[in-house]
This record gives sequence, structure tokens and C-alpha cells, in this order.
Amino acid sequence: MDVRRQHRLRRRLLTAAHFIGLFLAMSIICLPGLWVVLNSFRPTVEIMAKPPVWIPTELNLDHYRAMFGGIGEGGVPVLTYFWNSLVISLTSTVIALLVGMAGGYAFARYRIPGKSAIFVGLMVTRAVPGVALSLPLFILYGRLGIIDTHFGMILVYVALNVPFTIWLIDGFFRQVPKELAEAAEIDGCTRWQAFWKVEFPVARAGIASAGIFAFLTSWNEYALASQLTRSLNSKTMPVGLMDFTSQFTLNWGGMCALAVLMILPALVLTFLVQKHLIAGLTFGGVKG
Amino acid sequence: MAQVVLQDVVKNYGALPVVHAINLDIAHGEFVVLVGPSGCGKSTTLRMIAGLEEISGGRVRIGDRVVNDLPPRDRNISMVFQNYALYPHMTVRENLGFSLYIAKRPKAEIERAVDQAAEILSLTPLLDRKPGQLSGGQRQRVAMGRAIVRHPDVFLFDEPLSNLDAKLRTQMRVEIKRLHQKVGTTIIYVTHDQIEAMTLADRIVIMRDGHIVQIGTPLEVFERPVNAFVATFIGSPPMNLLPATVRSGGLRLADGTVIPLPPGLTAREGQAVQFGVRADNIMPEGHSMPPTAHMALVEMPVTLTEPLGTETLLFATLAGTEVQAKMLNPRPVRTGEVLRFGIALDKCHLFDADTGASLRV
Amino acid sequence: MYRMRLPPWLVLLMPAFVILLAVVAIPLVLSLYSSFTAFQLTRPETITRWIGTFNYEKAIGDANFWAAFGRTVLLLTVALNLEMLLGLGLALMVAKVTHGQRLLRTIMMFPMMFSPILVGFQFKFIFNDNVGLLNNALQSLGLTDVAIPWLVDGNLAFIAIVTAEVWTSTSVFAILILAGLFAIPQDPVEAARVDGCTPWQTFRYVTLPFLMPFIYIAMAIRSLDVARAYDIVQVMTAGGPARRTELLWTLIGRTGYVDARMGYANAMGYIAILLSIAFTVHFFRKLSSARTSLGMGD
Ligand SMILES: Nc1ncnc2c1ncn2[C@@H]1O[C@H](COP(=O)(O)OP(=O)(O)OP(=O)(O)O)[C@@H](O)[C@H]1O
Ligand SMILES: [Mg+2]
Repeated sequence: MDVRRQHRLRRRLLTAAHFIGLFLAMSIICLPGLWVVLNSFRPTVEIMAKPPVWIPTELNLDHYRAMFGGIGEGGVPVLTYFWNSLVISLTSTVIALLVGMAGGYAFARYRIPGKSAIFVGLMVTRAVPGVALSLPLFILYGRLGIIDTHFGMILVYVALNVPFTIWLIDGFFRQVPKELAEAAEIDGCTRWQAFWKVEFPVARAGIASAGIFAFLTSWNEYALASQLTRSLNSKTMPVGLMDFTSQFTLNWGGMCALAVLMILPALVLTFLVQKHLIAGLTFGGVKG
Repeated sequence: MAQVVLQDVVKNYGALPVVHAINLDIAHGEFVVLVGPSGCGKSTTLRMIAGLEEISGGRVRIGDRVVNDLPPRDRNISMVFQNYALYPHMTVRENLGFSLYIAKRPKAEIERAVDQAAEILSLTPLLDRKPGQLSGGQRQRVAMGRAIVRHPDVFLFDEPLSNLDAKLRTQMRVEIKRLHQKVGTTIIYVTHDQIEAMTLADRIVIMRDGHIVQIGTPLEVFERPVNAFVATFIGSPPMNLLPATVRSGGLRLADGTVIPLPPGLTAREGQAVQFGVRADNIMPEGHSMPPTAHMALVEMPVTLTEPLGTETLLFATLAGTEVQAKMLNPRPVRTGEVLRFGIALDKCHLFDADTGASLRV
Repeated sequence: MYRMRLPPWLVLLMPAFVILLAVVAIPLVLSLYSSFTAFQLTRPETITRWIGTFNYEKAIGDANFWAAFGRTVLLLTVALNLEMLLGLGLALMVAKVTHGQRLLRTIMMFPMMFSPILVGFQFKFIFNDNVGLLNNALQSLGLTDVAIPWLVDGNLAFIAIVTAEVWTSTSVFAILILAGLFAIPQDPVEAARVDGCTPWQTFRYVTLPFLMPFIYIAMAIRSLDVARAYDIVQVMTAGGPARRTELLWTLIGRTGYVDARMGYANAMGYIAILLSIAFTVHFFRKLSSARTSLGMGD
């Protein structure tokens, strides 16, 4: 039968196109990243060689050794930066989640006069570009004396993440039927217990994905951090990248080594919560 | 209009077979109902006919074409889904006209077909609403309307009435039957409601665990069930089954009561069997049909009554098993009251206790 | 006994309000005020020199400002649409895969883990005319024998910036659209197939309308975050060469910190903020109308 053969052929062609398309897309996504990883193991001469060396002839840990080495020998206080980044990102994520859970719950469960105006108003605070915010914040923080402190950075990042966190969590609580908590209350829970025992576990996927987004935002933020941190007290890794640049030169290999150090925790964390991520992101799409 | 033929059709999910080589011949314009308990493979079979599910083995023919490799759109079928599957972003009018629009029919024709379908299903005042603003029954009608505007070769219905309340369901059942009489298209209809099956079908196909157990007209499957499963599945209330042994031309029940062997049944001496009798065929004396040639009389205590108006359903105990009986022209009955019941033996069934197969010749 | 009782929702939202007030609203009021003064970072006393709307007038009369403004809008439009299309394609391809989808999904999110500042450096190197990956590859393959000045030519630099921006942010679209694809009810899709739709028609008339809310969510999120492009541009070209890739944000940054003219920078900042807000509000509007059309509005 002719129609049947035609259909089979079409299906086979589509399968092939699908496979090739996926392969190309994944390569484009991966290559620039893997290239960074590769460069962190290659000597600078080879990275900069002209004509280019395609097949690496030598891989070593020189950049890592230099990075962890003493200051003055090309060393950078990476461990301090790492620690600052970790403290600031984790703390701000946790606080943003708590604040976001309270706010998201309020949006999902209560009748609020002027709800959508308040909602968009909250969201819009996130739309303020970092540069535009960093100027006045810089002055204000200067007055308060919290420039270059963990506290100052945590405060900024909480504010940065709260709107989006509220949005995600709101969407998720909305998908948890009200009756669930009501049933728990009838079963003898207080409202508070009903929340923690019933609604919270069901909305966990949404909270996990909100957490991932908040963490990645804080972990990678540069515009504000570059203005509000000054020294080892609070400098984070994205700002630390700048240590590898000077007026006219740039230590690309060394920067790649630090970059790998930045990406690894993010990668591990994302992989761990990735199971919840997709489920968590269906928020608000189906229900306003 | 077209006939539909299934030849050794198999469906596997991975290594798990859910439909085992079923064979089914459906004639032009026939109304066939697939029934069976939940999970027996009815929807899967229907979806293979629709082309929504890949066919793992065997052949499906619609009209004179083998459609195994054809996508749904080339099979010229319509389907009504259990959850209606309306397009939420389109108005009722757009929902109804969608398939014609896709087929690039002229505007005027689409309009005419939509108006006509809306007329038949009394949807005209709702045409500009969206599905979200309709009640369950109205959505159901839109789903049906969407199927009929196309004039397909075959209609497929997957439990279309299961989400409706009892009254609407009865109403829609009549509507569907009338529709079939009017358009005369082949219909394959899935349900697990046996009343729907009995009232709608030209032929009923009873399935269990991916096998077809019996195919026949509603009366055939009601009067001559091939096994105990069909006997209990078809008919309401379900047929009473009592364990018994064949002893010297009679049936010996668990407590030693002996009932004469019903006529037209073949049973070996000593064979373990199940004695099947419908509630309509056990009636208390004085409240029954005129007695027939073969009657057996038993005395049973009544444990529960369910008055239904013109008749009352009596629950009584016979040889340790609960049986249901019917009382015509009912009078009040106290629980515990012992009544004499007549069993119409020529309407009774006998099934092998091990295989469940009917012992009627 | 007198006791004030706030409605519970206000109590729950209070922490969010307080933090946003402190970190966003108050600084913005401050910068609004300073935009009406001749404030210079190096001379703090200038903050009291009230000059009315002079800074705004100056910005409005400044050709450089409008060039940056136009370029920013162009970048946003081009980048967001490209990201949406590519993200949609990527999500559709990944959703079709049955085996190893978890791995693909993780790879798909890979670029989200890169700090924008790092992406800037990374693409600065990829597009470097002398030792960059791209020129090296083109030359080794014999496609060109001259070094293409990716980051020096204005148009090429714009393309390079869009590429970097698209590389980092397509994931956000892809992941959200993928979530949307999983959330689509299967019944209407099957109904469409039975109704005679080709795969393309099914996508166009059924899947896509269902995906629209998710696409607008992604747009809204991206427009909230769009100033992240600042980091990338700052590193790749710093608005140069000769302002040919100047965006609003790099212009503001330079005016504020390098030239120390805070008042003027804040005035331009306000215009940039209004632009961002306009984008965001636009997408939220679209989002709620897409939901309403699916009959899922509030
Ligand atoms: N995607 C699947 N993977 C594995 N098994 C499946 C899948 N879909 C259905 N099944 C199994 O196939 C069997 C038949 O399913 P089907 O939906 O056809 O039942 P049904 O007769 O329509 O039941 P119901 O009356 O409940 O709708 C069931 O046992 C079900 O568990
Ligand atoms: Mg079913």
C-alpha cells in the first residue's frame, strides 16, 4: 500500500531529523561550557597559541595550583570568596524562601483587595536593573556602614529573590486544594500544623524550584556585588573573577579554574533537585 | 458508514500484554458496545481503532482499508472522550466547526453543519460560550456535536456518560440512540455500565483481562451467558450463584437442600457446580409470576428489604449464601420473616465450579 | 482592651513588603530625589543642589542616550524572541525523547549555572579576533583567512552579544516550556488528532494555545531579569568600541561610576526602570489574557 509506505518513510525521516536536531542543540549548549573546563587544565601558552592547538598536548593542574597558591604568586583568595559566596547565597536563599512562603501563601489563600495590582507591584521591584539600584544603594549602605558586609549582601539578595519566590510558591499553593488543609483541620490540626503537615509537603516541588532559582541568582550575581563588596570581608566569586584581569591582560586559564569552582556547586545542587524542578515550574501556567 | 474488523489484535505495554489477540467483526451501521470491568482493556481497544494507540499485533480494518499504520486523521472517525476533551480556548461554535475548518471546507458549509448539529443537540443558545462556562451535560452535548458534524465512517465513544448524573445520563442515552437511528453510522461504544450496554447495543462485546468473553445481542448475553462471569456482570441485580454438587439427578446445596436439576443442562454425577438464578426467577408465593412447569420450592428467612415501588427486592439466605429475590405487588415484609419462594428452574443456569463455563447445551 | 488587628494576609506579606521597601523602594526614592540635583559622587555636598528637571531634559536631548535606548529595546526584542523560538524548539525536541530524558534536561539547564559575568568573559574569548575559538575554527576549516573583528565592528559585536545572551537564557524558556508541555492535558490533543489535524495543525491549534501562558511566564521572568545582560555587555565590549554597543545600563554605569555624575545617571536610570517595568507589565497582561482565553483566569 502506497499511503502506508509513505507514512513509514515520513516517520523515519522525522526520527532522524529529531535525533540530529537534538544532537546539534546539545552540542551548542555544552561546547562553550566544556571549553571553559578544558581551558582550566591547559597551559596558557597553548590556549593562546597561534595557529591554534586543537588536540591538547598537555593537561595539568597548574592554574588550580596557582589559584590556591599564595597571594603574590598569582594566587587568589578563592577559598575566602567561596566561603563568602556560600554564606551569602545560602542564607539569602533560605530567608527568601521563608518570606516567599509567607507571601505566596497569602496570595494563594486569602482574598486581598487589589490583589493583582499588589502582585504586579511586587514583581516590578525585580525589574529594576541592578545598575540603577546599585547607585542609590551604594550611597545608602555607605551611610549605614553596611557596605562590604555579609549582612548587606544577604539583604540585597533576599530582596532580589523575594518577588519571584512569591510568584512560584503562590502558583504552587494554588494547585494544592484548599480542602486538603481544611480536612486536616477537621482531623484536629491547628491551622499552623495543617500548613506544615499537609500543604507544605504537597507544595514542596514548587518550593524546591523556587530555591534553585534563588540560589543560582545569588550565586551568580555580579552588578550589585561589584559595587557593594570591597574586600575579603564579603567579596563573592563572580567579583573574584575580576582578580584575574588587569588593565590590559587577562589570565584566562586561571579564570577558567575559578569558573569551574563556581559551576560545580551549582551543578550538583541543580542535579539534586532537578526531579522537583519540572513539576515545580508548572506553577501558575494553568491557573491564574 | 463502514464495517470495522479486528483480526487477532494485540496490545502490549512493554512486556505487559493488556489486549490478547481479539477478533471482532462489526457490520455497517451496527451499534456495538464494549463492556467489562475496570482495566479490562476496553479503552485500549477503542484507542487502537482510533489510531491513538499503536497496534502491537494483528490487523484493524475500517471499510476496505487496513488502518494499522494510518494516523487518526486519515481514518475518518470521530471520537467522544470520557472527559469531553473540548478545546478550552475555543467557543462552542469553534469547537463544533474545528474539524471542518481543518479540512478546509468552505465557510458557508461549516456554518450550516454547525447550526445543524447545534439544532439537533439544542446547543444553539450556547454557541458563543466557552467550554468553561458550560455545565457537565452541556459539555457532553458539545462533545457529541463535535463528533457528528463530520459525518465520519465510525463513531467511537469512550464512556461518554460516566461523568453525568443519573437523570442526565438516561436522557443522553436516549439522545444517542436517536442519533444512531437518524444517521445510521457504525458506532463502537465503551462503557462499564451494563444498563447502558443493554439499552443501546445491537450487540454487546464483553471483555475481561484483555480477552473477549462473549459477543451477542443484549438478550443473548442476558439469557445465555457463556460463563459465570458474564452471568454476574450482565443484569441487575447480579445473578445469584450458589455452590452445589450434582447428586443423583438433583443439586445438593451446601446445607443439604436438594433442588431438582434444571432441564437442558448437562452435568456429571458428583460434579462441583455453581447454581445460577436471577432475582426475577425467585419469587415468594402469592407475589410472583404464574408458575411454570419446572418449579422448585424453598423456604428462606428475609434479612433485608429494598422497596422499589412496583416491586420489592428481598435479601434472603439460602444454604448459607445471601440471595436476592423479587416480590411483585409487594406487601410489607418484616426482617426475619420466613417466606416460601418458588424458583423457576427452566430459567436457571449451571456453571462448572472450576472453569466457570456454562453447562447449558 | 484595645488591640489593633491586621488582616492575616497583610501579616504574611509584611516581611516581603518591609524588605522590598528597604532595599528597593527607599533607594529608588533617594535616586529619584538625586536625579533632580547636580549630585556628583566625588563631591557629596552637591546633593543639595536642586536643578529641577535639568538632568531629564539633558537626557532627552542627548543623541547618545537615545541611541543606547533604541539599541536596548532592539536587543531585548531580538534576544527575547530568539530565545523563545529556540527554547520552544528545544523543549519540543526534549519532550519527545523517552530514554535518557533526565540527562538531557540537566544538560539543557547547564547554561543557567554560568554567572552572566562569566558568560561575558567566555564569549569575549570565543569571539576574540586573534585567539578566539570561533575565528580559530573558521580559519582551520578554511572558511576564512582573515581574522573577523567580531567585537570591534558594531554590527558584528551586536550579533556576538545577542549570541551570548541567547546562549545563557534559552534554557529558561526551554525549561518553562517543557514544564508546560508536561502540564498539557492529553485529551484535547488526542481529540484534535481524531478531528483530522496533522501534527503541525495539532501543535498550532491546540498545543500552542495551551503553551502560551507558559511562554508569557518565561517572557515575564526574563524581562524581570533582563538587566543581567549588563554584566555580559560590560565584559564583552563595555559599550564600546566608540559606543557602538552602548546599552542603557552600560551608559548609566559609566556616567555614575566613571564620570561620577550620579544625578544624571539616576535620571537615565529612571528612564531605564520605566522601560523594564513597561516590558514586565506588558507580559503580565499577556499572561493573564492567555489564561483567560483558556478559561483558567481567576
Ligand atoms: N501506558 C500504559 N502503560 C502500562 N499499562 C497500561 C497503560 N495504559 C493502560 N495500561 C493498562 O492496560 C489495561 C487496560 O487499560 P484500559 O484503559 O484499556 O482499561 P479500561 O477497560 O478502559 O478500564 P476503565 O473502565 O477503568 O476505563 C489496564 O490494566 C491498565 O493498567
Ligand atoms: Mg477506559
